[in-house]
Amino acid sequence: MVLVLALGDLHIPHRAPDLPAKFKSMLVPGKIQHIICTGNLSIKVSLFLSNSIEVHDYLKTLCPDLHITRGEYDEDTRYPETKTLTIGQFKLGLCHGHQVIPWGDLDSLAMLQRQLDVDILVTGHTHQFTAYKHEGGVVINPGSATGAYSSITYDVNPSFVLMDIDGLRVVVYVYELIDGEVKVDKIDFKKTASIHTAH
Amino acid sequence: MPPALMNPLMPPPPPPSVSVSAPPELEGSDDVSGRSVTQKRRFGDLRGLQWRVDLGVLPSESSTSIDDLRRVTADCRRRYANLRRRLLVEPHIPKDGSNSPDLTMDNPLSQNPDSTWSRFFRNAELERMVDQDLSRLYPEHGNYFQTPGCQGILRRILLLWCLRHPECGYRQGMHELLAPLLYVLQVDVERLSEVRKLYEDIFTDKFDGLLYQENDLSYSFDFRKSQDLLEDEIGSHGNAKVKSLDELDPALQTIVLLSDAYGAEGELGIVLSEKFMEHDAYCMFDALMSGVRGSVAMADFFSSFPVAGSQTGLPPVIEASTALYHLLCLVDSSLYSHLLDLGVEPQYFSLRWLRVLFGREFSLDNLLIIWDEIFASDNSKVEKSVDDNIDWGLRILHSPRGAFIAAMAVAMLLHLRSSLLATENPTTCLQRLLNFPENINIKKLLEKAKSLQARALSVDISSPSPLIIGYHLQSKSVMTRSQTLPSETVSPKTPVNLLTDSYWEEKWRVAHEAEELKQDGIEQQIPTRKKGWTEKVKNTLRRAGSDPPPSRIKNGKKESKVVRRNILEALHKALGPEEEAEQMDCHEILCKQENISEAAEGVQQNDNSKGDNSYSSDDRCPSGNTGIEESSSVYSDSTSPPNEANYHEITSQGSSVASNLYLDECDETADTSLSDPPLPVSDHPESIPETSESTDVDVDKSENIPQMSGCNNNDPGNSATHPKEKKQNKFQWFWKFGRNTVEGISGKVGAASEPTKSTSSCSNQSNSQPPVSSTTSEHFTSVSSKGDSVDQNVMGTLKNIGQSMLDHIQVIESVFQQDRNQGVSVENLSKNILVGKGQVTAMAALKELRKISNILSEM
Repeated sequence: MVLVLALGDLHIPHRAPDLPAKFKSMLVPGKIQHIICTGNLSIKVSLFLSNSIEVHDYLKTLCPDLHITRGEYDEDTRYPETKTLTIGQFKLGLCHGHQVIPWGDLDSLAMLQRQLDVDILVTGHTHQFTAYKHEGGVVINPGSATGAYSSITYDVNPSFVLMDIDGLRVVVYVYELIDGEVKVDKIDFKKTASIHTAH
Repeated sequence: MPPALMNPLMPPPPPPSVSVSAPPELEGSDDVSGRSVTQKRRFGDLRGLQWRVDLGVLPSESSTSIDDLRRVTADCRRRYANLRRRLLVEPHIPKDGSNSPDLTMDNPLSQNPDSTWSRFFRNAELERMVDQDLSRLYPEHGNYFQTPGCQGILRRILLLWCLRHPECGYRQGMHELLAPLLYVLQVDVERLSEVRKLYEDIFTDKFDGLLYQENDLSYSFDFRKSQDLLEDEIGSHGNAKVKSLDELDPALQTIVLLSDAYGAEGELGIVLSEKFMEHDAYCMFDALMSGVRGSVAMADFFSSFPVAGSQTGLPPVIEASTALYHLLCLVDSSLYSHLLDLGVEPQYFSLRWLRVLFGREFSLDNLLIIWDEIFASDNSKVEKSVDDNIDWGLRILHSPRGAFIAAMAVAMLLHLRSSLLATENPTTCLQRLLNFPENINIKKLLEKAKSLQARALSVDISSPSPLIIGYHLQSKSVMTRSQTLPSETVSPKTPVNLLTDSYWEEKWRVAHEAEELKQDGIEQQIPTRKKGWTEKVKNTLRRAGSDPPPSRIKNGKKESKVVRRNILEALHKALGPEEEAEQMDCHEILCKQENISEAAEGVQQNDNSKGDNSYSSDDRCPSGNTGIEESSSVYSDSTSPPNEANYHEITSQGSSVASNLYLDECDETADTSLSDPPLPVSDHPESIPETSESTDVDVDKSENIPQMSGCNNNDPGNSATHPKEKKQNKFQWFWKFGRNTVEGISGKVGAASEPTKSTSSCSNQSNSQPPVSSTTSEHFTSVSSKGDSVDQNVMGTLKNIGQSMLDHIQVIESVFQQDRNQGVSVENLSKNILVGKGQVTAMAALKELRKISNILSEM
């Protein structure tokens, strides 16, 4: 059983001051095995916040296994445009999503999913939580963890996603902060017999 | 399964043709654990089963039918299965699809402590901790314990137990308590499959067609076999098949019945079942930890808080350690005091011993044998006749099992006795304690433990409470003090056992008062001494004091006494020159040996008078005093009330000595080297010639003569009536006399002292301790009174001296003659090369002595 935290589009401090306190209190070290971040963390927190650590470092404290792709506002050029990783029986693909046009379009994302050859594709950029089951895989957009506005929307609920990967089964927990209350939703997904085990 | 390969108790299965009358495993285990033990047990050959009975998992009444056993077994297993279902959380597998309305609470990031996920994470944390220990469990038996299956079983059991007992939680060591339990179950199952294999052939041959034949071999086999056995038990001896079944061992019948899948409770009731090993192991572990219907609960040993109702207010393991030392003190007071001197508190080593029930000190096979004994002891509380306010602490001693555990620990201590006594600082002492020798005679150890167990049970009830409390306080204070003291300080705390007849004790009581006064004056003149040697001698003396063979007490013949006196003189002589006439030291030792409280006063005086003399007893004095005070507080409590203010300690000492003598008789069995009376006598004269050789003859003369005269005077036994003031003066005179002569040749002596030291101390330690102690006490009294005659007429005294010397020489010679007669035995027993050589030198020295004495008597 592996827990994978997926989040992105934090835009700290330009569009949001910090992660919501309720999220921060939930995200504690020791539970999560992997973190995948779609990008747009933005710059150092230390200039503006008292806790003076970068978002990157903060995520590292939750779990040292951190995977980040580069968003259009990320200045750190070390982050790749796309990234794939295998967790258990699942192959995960990671991309910020501003490169996929039209933004948030399922067909375009499905193309990327086939291109990366992944079971689960995690993208961001739209700041809207979405999750599609598509062609034997899942396409997930965790939304913005800080509730930052995007170029498309103004009214954004902070949200992130936690995936519980166990064998051929993945349970996606969606955490959304609506009116100060954390709302949790769950999506079950079973991988139909080995597509990738043949590789 | 791998265990069959690694289990030494399980030889390869016998060929099927053999009509098995006794299982080979039974014999194997019997050889080590003793047949008497197995006989009284119902399932002696099935250790796992026996343990389950002993631990209270299964009913212990011998009348219990197999069916009842099966029912109880099944119940236990059901309980465990329920527990496992309830406590082991699998959060990502929904129990059923419906119960997911409260997702806000049941999600991986939930902060609610009651949520499934929180429990899951807590369990995972615990599991990690358990795994850390399990992965290092018995690496030498890794092919069983390190298999994933075994690890999984162990992990689940520990996890469940800890979840079930959150107040205890997991503590390191629990896994080592559990592992042997699982192991014996595995061995039992192995045994069962062996029996099955063995009899399958016979049975299928015989009963083809009689009963149904199925493809399911194991079950049909079980069925048939049990049918046969049942018939056999009923007594239907009509047909041919019974003939071979008659030869069946009842134990085998039991095995078969216990594993019958069609008995009571069906498959769940198969008492020996590999499938339910985990369940059974959990039940055993739980019973062991919580001490079902008994007073010894292993879980207590892991808790750091005092048990409810404990009078001492100490954590149970500390309490048990205290009880351990208490028992040791009763059994072997010298070892006890030695350990106390070093500041070695019992919990330093007993924590490890007790928590894993000696699992770390012995190999697994030996451990199983020890546990056999431990579990065989009844765990129920002994009902005491004494009233409640005497029931102080030491709960471990309240049940036979607890007493056996303590006795086992003490037996281990006694096993290490000699090496422990040889240690001079706590570090090495603990090193020896914590590296228990691998190759030991487990049977002997167990026998010893059993004898101690009986003692522990009886002693506990009879011993009054203040002793224990006193002990604890004492040990605390000793610990704090010992840090500042040299580790090799003399321990006057030893409740020394006096060998002498009551006559000598009586005399001593009168005489010792003068001693204190005398010491005052004498010590002014004491020069510096060589520390190491003195202490060694003291050590030997002290050690000697603890082991008086009872045989000595009985044959208090005149001659042997004289001999002993001579021996003492030799020792004294040896001491004298080495320490440059620092007889005071010897004096001190003797004091201590004779009477602890006396020594205390003496030492105190010593302290006062000496100031900053180079004499190193300054260091020792505090320790001496404190030790004495402590020991007197300890021992006076347990003995008779005080007579007078002055003689209070003396009398108490005396009576405690009397009580100790009995204890030492038991101890004697262990110390085989000391049990032969003639040996010490024969051996000891060695030290006489050697010392006399190493020193000048003149020194010998001057040193010996006063002492011997004292002895001589003493013989009539009238010193008790002498006026004390007189004695004091004369005594001083003698000390001066001895000292002057010795000082002249001190340089020479220094060179010669080394060989003497090694040889004499060696011989002392090896086998002649008891006589030394006995003679020391006698000698001391003699020294105290020896001045008497000298005062009247020096010449007359010298004459007397010569006379007495002659007497003594004759005695020694006669002893030597005896020795030659017993030459063979001496050689065998002592194993000391020095014996032969020593005798020759002794004879030479005796000739010298004879010459001297002749000259003296002519004067």
